[in-house]
Amino acid sequence: MTNYILKRLGQGLLTVFLTVSTVFILVRLAPGDPAVSYAGPLATTEQLAKVREQFGLDRPVLEQYWIFLQQLFTGNLGTSYSFQAPAMQVVAERMPYTLTLATASILLTAVVAIPLGVWMSRRPDTNRELGVNVLTIAGQSMPDFWTGIMLLTGFAVLIPLFPASGFATWGGLVLPTITIAILQIALISRMVRREMTANFAAPFLTVARSRGVRNSVLTWRYAMGNSAIPVFTALGTRFAAMLNGVVVVEVVFAWPGVGSLIVRALETRDYPLIQATVLLTALLAVAVQLVIDLAYPLLDPRVRLGKAATA
Amino acid sequence: MSLDTTPPPAGVPSDLPTGPPARTPSPSAVTKELIAKAGATRRRKAAQWKLRIGAVCTLIVIIPILLAQLLPLPDANHQDLSARRLAPLMDGHFFGTDQLGRDLLSRVLHGGQVSLTIGVLAVVVSGAIGIILGAAAGYFGGWVDTVVSRVLEAQMSLPLLMMLLLVVALFGPSIPVITFVIAIAQWPEVARLTRSMVLVEREKPYVSAARILGLHRIQILIQHIIPNVIKQATLVVLLLLAQAVLLESALSFLGAGPQRPFATWGRIISDGQDYITTSWWMVTLPGLVIVLMVVGVNLLGDGLRDRPRRKKKGA
Repeated sequence: MTNYILKRLGQGLLTVFLTVSTVFILVRLAPGDPAVSYAGPLATTEQLAKVREQFGLDRPVLEQYWIFLQQLFTGNLGTSYSFQAPAMQVVAERMPYTLTLATASILLTAVVAIPLGVWMSRRPDTNRELGVNVLTIAGQSMPDFWTGIMLLTGFAVLIPLFPASGFATWGGLVLPTITIAILQIALISRMVRREMTANFAAPFLTVARSRGVRNSVLTWRYAMGNSAIPVFTALGTRFAAMLNGVVVVEVVFAWPGVGSLIVRALETRDYPLIQATVLLTALLAVAVQLVIDLAYPLLDPRVRLGKAATA
Repeated sequence: MSLDTTPPPAGVPSDLPTGPPARTPSPSAVTKELIAKAGATRRRKAAQWKLRIGAVCTLIVIIPILLAQLLPLPDANHQDLSARRLAPLMDGHFFGTDQLGRDLLSRVLHGGQVSLTIGVLAVVVSGAIGIILGAAAGYFGGWVDTVVSRVLEAQMSLPLLMMLLLVVALFGPSIPVITFVIAIAQWPEVARLTRSMVLVEREKPYVSAARILGLHRIQILIQHIIPNVIKQATLVVLLLLAQAVLLESALSFLGAGPQRPFATWGRIISDGQDYITTSWWMVTLPGLVIVLMVVGVNLLGDGLRDRPRRKKKGA
């Protein structure tokens, strides 16, 4: 058990390390000079040189990487060029907003998608099921920025029920959450239906039914119990992906989260800020994945971590 | 209501003879009506409808896009400031005009050419990478499998859209970069599927037979195994096309798409966003075009997957 956790932790940290290193290399490979974007187009050569010296951009790339690694392990990724504040701090301030949005979205998704998927799996090949099925296809076919703008226009501008942007009140959470959830509900409910249909066709369920087990118990305890792990994994993976910034939706709703921050950081070539964002979000995503893995024995007592767990 | 208690076990009704009509002294209690109501029949019908509607939705969008140059439309970049933000159907502008008086329909169709080109190219690239690497990992196993599987896992835990934005922001939003980026984002799905199918396939007797006949391993893989899995793999690729179009539009919405004068779908919507309160059509109509096409492709994919496969002889 402890060994298993340590192994997974090691793998996770390796992933994070490779991610930030990749970003470091990509950023240095790319054309364009961050000193110019920092000092502005009118800066003199001397000013540019000063900026480069200030941020260590004049040193050899390998030395920069070494400094970067040292900073990485001390958790200090330097000063954001555009915010003039420690990059980690800038990202950490934005993180709660992204976390709030991601949590709200995944909760809404779970609450709607699981019953919906179960509902569909219990009425296979009926017209109503076909109808919902087509709706879920539509749900996963809508570009989220477009859905966002449509909802924004409908429920913030034409019918001013909710604030249009930002996170001043809790009402501001509603529209972005729905925008994200539409796609996720479509994906997850289809997955729940698939899992449940497979379980409903399994022999153990026929046996249970012939023994006279009630329908609700059959559905929720027998079939859902066996679908719990894949469904939970899917929800967790989606959640982890959302922590990496629900970029598009955050931009549409001017949400003060990490997603809109990275778009800005990329525009201004703010290296430390880019690195800090990638590092923090990758760390969080890996942590969530680890939690999902550790929760398996709770969902299915047959699972013994480290021994029977297969990829 | 009564249907949900006992769903018929899959496969059983499909074995029933559907062709010949029930003779009057029928030995079987199964009537034509019962067959028509059976789950398998409904499923087949639903699959057919999905295929038909999917084809119609896709073609409605794709044919005009392909014919955009031939259609009697104003130039996509022709500005006419006296005809700014005309509502749809006014002055011969079927979709209306945008803030610079450009014909919206023409822009959507020409933008569609760019978006579709990128989507198709990306899917071809990711499909090729995915099938080759997935098949190699599944067939050879060992270190090949370890490397491919690790990369797959690592990529799935990476902040995807963020990385895509990063690459595009750093290397410039040219069409090759965007195509490459989308292909890189999508290959894991194909690779995983191909790998798992090849794992099953390589244990089958025909592979041993081929090996005994002295065929080279690579020849077995290319000539015998891949043809057996390619059909299902291409089905996934079709679904990836829908995703690629969505991904491209999201990138160009964020300003990381092909640069002007290309009018991609995402950019048209992002441009129209500022005028949403006064000119609804500038966002709504291009969005509906995307939705129509992506729904069409997804329905096609779904229908193809649900369609009962004809049993192969001797397979």
